[in-house]
Parts: sequence; structure tokens; C-alpha cells
Amino acid sequence: MSEALKSTDYKSNLKPIWCAGCGDFGVLASLYKAFEELQLQPENTAVCSGIGCSSRLPGYINAYTFNGIHGRVLPFATGVKMSSPESTVIAVGGDGDGFSIGAGHIGHAARKNIDITYIVMDNNIYGLTKGQASPTTPLGVKTKTTYYGNMGMTFNPVRMLIAYKASFVARTFAGNPKHVQEMIVKAIQHPGFSFVEILSPCVTFRGKDQFKIIRDKSTYLDGVHNAENELAAFDIANDEEHFAMGVIYKKLRPTYAEIVKEHVTKKAKATVNGTPKIDHLLEQFQP
Amino acid sequence: MLNNKNIVIGIAGSGGDGVISAGEILVNAASSEGLFVFMLKSVGAQIRGGESSIRVRVSDLPVQSQGDRIDVLVVLSWKNFLRFKSELQLEEKVIIVSDTNDPMPDEEIPLTESQREFWYKIPFTKLAEEHAGTYQAKNIVMLGAISEIFSLPREALRKSIQKKFKNKPTEVIENNIKAMVAGVEYVKTQVVKSDPLIFEYQHHREPRLVMQGNEAIALGAIYAGLDYYAGYPITPSTEIMEWISRYLPQRDGIAMQMEDELASINAILGASFAGKKSMTATSGPGISLMNEGIGLASMAELPVVIINVQRGGPSTGLPTKTEQADLMQAIWGSHGDSQRVVIAPCDVEDCFDSTVLAFYIAEKYQCPVIVLSDQFIGHRKESINPESMRGSKVGFRKIYNRDTPSAEDLKDYHRFKITETGVSPMSYLGIKGGEYLGSGIEHDEKGSPRGDAGNHAKMIEKRWKKFEYIKEEFRFERFYGPEDAKLGIIAWGSTKGAVKEAVLKANAMGISVGAIIPQIIYPFLIEPFKEFIKNKDSIIITEMSYAGQFRRYLRGFLRFSQYGVKVIPFVKSGGAPFMVEEILNKIIEEWKEMEAQR
Repeated sequence: MSEALKSTDYKSNLKPIWCAGCGDFGVLASLYKAFEELQLQPENTAVCSGIGCSSRLPGYINAYTFNGIHGRVLPFATGVKMSSPESTVIAVGGDGDGFSIGAGHIGHAARKNIDITYIVMDNNIYGLTKGQASPTTPLGVKTKTTYYGNMGMTFNPVRMLIAYKASFVARTFAGNPKHVQEMIVKAIQHPGFSFVEILSPCVTFRGKDQFKIIRDKSTYLDGVHNAENELAAFDIANDEEHFAMGVIYKKLRPTYAEIVKEHVTKKAKATVNGTPKIDHLLEQFQP
Repeated sequence: MLNNKNIVIGIAGSGGDGVISAGEILVNAASSEGLFVFMLKSVGAQIRGGESSIRVRVSDLPVQSQGDRIDVLVVLSWKNFLRFKSELQLEEKVIIVSDTNDPMPDEEIPLTESQREFWYKIPFTKLAEEHAGTYQAKNIVMLGAISEIFSLPREALRKSIQKKFKNKPTEVIENNIKAMVAGVEYVKTQVVKSDPLIFEYQHHREPRLVMQGNEAIALGAIYAGLDYYAGYPITPSTEIMEWISRYLPQRDGIAMQMEDELASINAILGASFAGKKSMTATSGPGISLMNEGIGLASMAELPVVIINVQRGGPSTGLPTKTEQADLMQAIWGSHGDSQRVVIAPCDVEDCFDSTVLAFYIAEKYQCPVIVLSDQFIGHRKESINPESMRGSKVGFRKIYNRDTPSAEDLKDYHRFKITETGVSPMSYLGIKGGEYLGSGIEHDEKGSPRGDAGNHAKMIEKRWKKFEYIKEEFRFERFYGPEDAKLGIIAWGSTKGAVKEAVLKANAMGISVGAIIPQIIYPFLIEPFKEFIKNKDSIIITEMSYAGQFRRYLRGFLRFSQYGVKVIPFVKSGGAPFMVEEILNKIIEEWKEMEAQR
């Protein structure tokens, strides 16, 4: 058995480009710790992303990492996971990447229950393009593209994910690194599609008081909440006056890979003797 | 012109007439006798029911195209034939076989006097009801009748009917055989043959396979070692996914239906990143959506194969019809200087070869490869020599398994190391020490994001260097006609069939004309073309693109005027594929002009 890996072993030699005070630093630190806790092997770990401030995160990790195109992290991670089922596959990104341009993919990754962990660092703004409204920017907030105030109702990611019956839905806060680490560990351990919304303030475009605002609105779920109770989970998600932190919804069901193995590959292979060679496949074209 | 060794049969009817089934039975029967067949379907826009027509060319000799004109027109419903009138061009001496009890009065049927000369009326429906107990067997009565009139292989037909209904109760099979026999007997006893057409062919040859272009692509992918497929249904490419989703799992591969084409391309990129051979298939609208992902494949140097079964465009266009107007999109479809390879199959068997080649190039050169097929090849059925596809015979179709880093490479792994060929050893999940950041953002040899111009210049050169080696490794064009011909034709993809047949016909008429058809379209392998045009006076560039995309593309590489070559554009917008006659007439026209100037 090789030596245990330390959190610093997961650090790549790239330096984050984030602004001082960005919530994503906390997320990254917690991610290293979570990897250490789980003793993930870098060669069997993939961290993928799309585009955005938080999507730069894979570059800071020593593993197989990928920084692809805007909004497409979930299908990319799906392809990785289905091709390397033994690996731990993590998709990361921000609220713009996930809930705006990439929103169409979330329901499908959740519905298929692809065994990946999707971490969204939600900062309520487009940071990389320097301060435009995102799907989670609060109503009325002035941004560079909503000069007269944001016109759209704020998106509620947790409620959406519960509606999609994502098999694991949690929320946490970059200002509480221990809790972030705990949620990430649980999400990775969960067999099936796991979603973690991390409120990760953008101090540059949403103001330095964001940490305090979120902290003041935060409540932590205690042991009383039954995460398998969908209606109770919806109640928690619907309480927009507070941010309930913890595992909000969780329901185990077979993963896509399990279904493929049991219901596709097994059935397909039962129809043939061994692996069919090209000559066998040609038989069906005989007139 | 009547030719007893080559018959083009057109069948038209309503959706419930069993036109397609009849065509397929006929094709299978002919192929099992080792004959050469070519079958095109044409259906209405309705999902179920509605009119349909089919064109089956059966020949004792190899065939290159669908055949221009119909020798034998079988009509199960005149009303429905009228909808296909423009697609089924009739010979002036066409032989008509129709149902005695068709409700349309003869005088309303748009046939010329001479086309009415040979007209057999047979009570298909009545015979079916009497002998098979159902009007639905009228298509089978018809097959029996035409086999007797034109001496088509009867025993093979019987076997094909049995095979067609093999999963049905014995009674159904027996009734259909009775229907066929009823058709035969009716002709024997009630019909006096007046036409001169009797099909002549060499008996007892090896059966041939019957395959669609889309199936040949799927088969080629599996032969090349496909591990992972992700796609989204779109006409006319869907059969590729349908076939793969059934047969890939037998070989432990995975086929996933994604939510859209954006997901499909990104999922196969993920699979490729994880070390697997991956592919998607789509048509024009899907490619439009995938372009950003194809650019990512170029940038991240991920091997993937993308099949585009082209249809008429732009936009929704003509989903069930053919066109060759996605050429420029295939070559330049993403933003930035995105390096990719474009291959164009030119017939059904070449769909197999091109797909195998696509995987070879993708895996060896670590880049996206686009296979540009089209509806005309994708949906038609052709008979194929089984020997050319059997495992033992396909050894010349090379398979490449990507280069992985050596222990030495892994000591200080640089995923995008600049090498002589531009190809760097590629690690994947599971290889310890090979961890790296793959990205769409410009990066250095290590994979770290870099925004400086100097690095960008270096890395873009690295990626494009691969082209030089691809050009050196492959040289595959098809040539037809004499080398010293003064008149030439350049074409690509599915146009090959009509071009080849036209050139061979012209040569037989004493016209010296030659043709060149490339298989690898991009990078452009210039030498064979230079060789081809250097002694030409005139070159016809023919394609199914109104805007002449291929001609414009060729002009980027070939200075025709420098060679003193006159370029004659010959384009057609899609919908209906080229007829041999159209190309032959163009050849004759140009030939006459050249003669006149001499």
C-alpha cells in the first residue's frame, strides 16, 4: 500500500486566477480536503468543467482534468464516466454555465442517474465576463446588462433538482469550509447523480457583504429532516427567506451504468455466442 | 434503351399497398442469386401510411447508379403514382403493369401513346383476396406476375417471401406463397406477352449482401473498434444509431441517446478523453449544433469520428432528400482555425471503408474526423460482394490504437508535447503519472492555459503539422476513363455513381473523358489533382450544391487558369440525385464544343 495522499498532493502547479476574497478559494481548499478524506487516486479521478470563473477550478487539481466549452460539462462528464466506470467523475461550474446555457443537460444527467457529482459554485453573477446578470441574480439587482435592475425571477436550483428527482441534492456555503468538505464527500460517496449547490460569493461584482448576507440567512439541517421525504425537501427549497444547508433530498435508485449492465449488455450478450466478429454481424445482411 | 441484362423497375402505390416490402423482397431475391441491385425509396412526409414509391435496378452486371429511366412501371394505385411522377422518369417504351380494378379511368392517366403500347392489367387485389384471403397480399401477387412476365428468378423470390414472413404464423407464409403462385398462373393462362423484355442473367452465382449506406457506416465503426456512441435521432442518419444501439452492446460497447446534439458531441469527447474510441452521427442541422464541440476536439486534440449524412438545406430543408451542401461547413464549420479531417464515401461499400479510415486517422492523428455521407448513399440499398467485407478480407483496412505515453514520457508528462508530426503521446484516465489538464482554452505543451501570442502560434502550428503527415500517408482517389483525355470531370461523394457510369458510357461512344473522385476531401491532397488537370483543356466540376461549394473549394488549391484549363461548373441543387443522362449530356455538349474549336 502506497503512502496516504495529503490534501496538498491534489494541488496542481497552476495558481488560481480568482479575485482576492472569492468564495471559490474556499471551495477548492475543501475539495482538496475531501479528496484526501476519500483518498482518491489522481489517475482515477476526473474533474471536468465548462466556462466561467469557477470552471477554471479543474486546472488547479492534480488529476485528469478538463476545461471544455460553456454549458456542456454534464454531457462531457457523462461520456467520461460511462467510459471509465471505476473512476470518480466530478463536474464543476457556476450558475451561468449550469443554469443558463447548460440548463438543458441537468434534467437528463439527473434522470439517467449518471454516477457523477455536479458541484455548482453559485455566485449569482457572471464573473468572468465582469458582472452581468445570471439566472440566480436576485430580482431588481443592477448589473452591467440590467442597468435598470434585473427583470427575471431568481432561479431556485435546489427546487429544480428535486423536481428532476436528482438522487442526491445538497446545499452548502463557501464560508463554511468544513461543511463544504462534508457535503462533497457525501456527494461523491453517493452512488448516482449527486448535486451540490455551493453558495460561493463574488466579492467583486456582488459586493463584499455577500458572505455576511448568506451567513445571516443560513440555517443548517439537523438530523430531524428526512432527506427521502420529497415534500419536506420541497418545503426546504421553497423557503427562500433562508438558505438551508445540508443534504436536502436523497433517494437511491439504480445508476445508468447499472441499468446498462443489467438490462442492456446482459440481454444483448445473451443473443450471441461470445463477442460477435464482423463475419457474424454480416449474416443479417444476407438476402 | 431496352437491355435484357439490366432492368429498372419502379413500383408506386399507397402506404398500405406494400410497395416497400415488395421492393425489398425483390432486392433480396435478386441478391441471393448474386445479381447486382440498387434500390431507392421515396416516401411521403407521413409517418405512417401515405404514398410510397420504390425504384429497383436489377442487373447481371455491376451497377453504379439508380438507373435514369424506368423500364417497367408497376402501379398498385394510379392516384399515388401521380405524386411520384416527377421522380419516376419513364422510358418511352416503358412496360406498364397495373391493377385491372384501379378506380382511375385510363384516359386520365398521363401516359404518352407509345407508353401505352405494352400495358398489362392484372387483377392484383382480386387475386389476393381469392387466393390469400386478404387484399393485403396484392403486392405478392404482383411479384409473382412480373416474375413470370420478365423471367425474374422465381425460386429466389419464393425464398425471399418465406424469409420476409418467417416470424409470422405458417398460415401467413403459405397464403403469401399462394398469392405469388396466383400471380404466376394468371399471367401464364390469361396474359399474352407482347413486350420484348426477358431478363437474362448468369445463374448460380454467390449470393451478395444487401446493405444500406447507413448500415455500412455502423458496421465500419464496429469493425474499427468503436467503444462508445452518443447521438440524437435525425433523418436521414438515424439508422446508424438504431443499428449501433442494438449491436454495440453485444461487444461490450455503450450507445447512449442524448438530449441533443450539443450533448452528443460533448459526450463522445468525454469518452475519448477517457481513452475510448467514440463516434456520433447526425445530419446538417445536428452538425450546425456540434460545430463548437468539433472545435473543442481540434483544440484538445481528442480523436472522435462525426458522421454527417447530409440532407437538403439550409435549415430544416429537405429531411428525406439528398444534397452535397455541407462541404464548407464540414471543412470550416467551427470558429478559429480548427484542424479536422473530412472524408467522403462515394457508395455503400465505401461507407464501410471511409468509416474505418476515419477511425484510423482520428486515433493516429488525434483530431476530429468528419465523414460526409448523404441521404442518397445513406438510405439506398446496394448489393455488396460479401468477400470484400469478411473479416479475413478486410486486413488492408487498417485499425489504429492510439499512442500512449511511455514510462520515459510519464516522468515529466507533457500531453501536448511538440513533436515532428505534431502528434503527442496521449494518456487517459487510469494511467498514473499521465494526469493533465485538457482544455478548449489555448494551452502550452503541458496543458496549462496560456494567452500569449507566441505560445498560440507555436501550438496552432503543432496541431496543423499533422496535416502534412496525413497528406503523405494517404493517397486515395478514384480515376475513371483514359489518362490522356482532354476533357475531365471532378466530383465528390455520392455523385460518383452517375459520373462513373456517364464517363464509361461516353468512352464507349468514343468520347475521351476522364474523372477523378477524392475520398479524403480535407486536407486537400493536391498532387493527384495537379496530375489530373495538367493535360486537360476543360474540366467539368459537378456537385449537388447550387452555390458550387466544391468548385469554390477546389479553386483555393488549383489554379486552373495557370494550366490553361477551362472550368465548367455543373451544379444541381439537391432533392433528386444526378441522373447519368444529365452528366452524359453535359459531357457530350462540352465535347462537341471542344471538337468545334479544334
